[in-house]
Amino acid sequence: MRHYEIVFLVHPDQSEQVPGMVERYSSLITSGGGQVHRLEDWGRRHLAYPINKIHKAHYILMNIECSNEVLEELSHNFRFNDAIIRDLVVRRKDAVTEDSPIKTAQSREDRRPARQEAPKQEAEKAPAGDAAEASSDDKASEE
Amino acid sequence: MSRFLRRRKFCRFTAEGVKEIDYKDIDTLKGYITETGKIVPSRITGTKARYQRQLATAIKRARYLALLPYTDNHNE
Repeated sequence: MRHYEIVFLVHPDQSEQVPGMVERYSSLITSGGGQVHRLEDWGRRHLAYPINKIHKAHYILMNIECSNEVLEELSHNFRFNDAIIRDLVVRRKDAVTEDSPIKTAQSREDRRPARQEAPKQEAEKAPAGDAAEASSDDKASEE
Repeated sequence: MSRFLRRRKFCRFTAEGVKEIDYKDIDTLKGYITETGKIVPSRITGTKARYQRQLATAIKRARYLALLPYTDNHNE
């Protein structure tokens, strides 16, 4: 059993199928004696560049532990599923369970309106401190 | 005699003791690509060789997943 990290991109028109697809793959993994350690749905994201004239895609991240046969079946499924426009499988040393940077960034954005008051004061203070630091650094390097 | 006041370069990943550079951490990776989407050489950024290699793979993975652009000239 090895640990893998899988990211796949689903065609935005097939977004409704995502829960079903995830369900199917999870059951495939568990029935093969594997385990799903992390499952993240990043939702529909804007692509950095268009793929097949599509500008948005639905991202799914899975950290799994499975045997070679199961992984082969999974990637075979990815390849022949028209709804999946791209997939990446990376081998990992251990099971990763904490939130990925993208997920944390998203949840931070969701919470932002509620916390707008507090960081503002800090922001006012920070530039002054930074400027002072920078100028002293410049002096030091001049000498 | 115009001597530029250059800030001392340092490797951010060494300073922070990063274990592994994650291809999903787009905000960090964005700091190491140019406006045109190229990977910035370590001689400019001061990144240590070990981390520069990780950085390169991370950026390439992120590009494949369309999290980062390959160029600024993609046909929109």
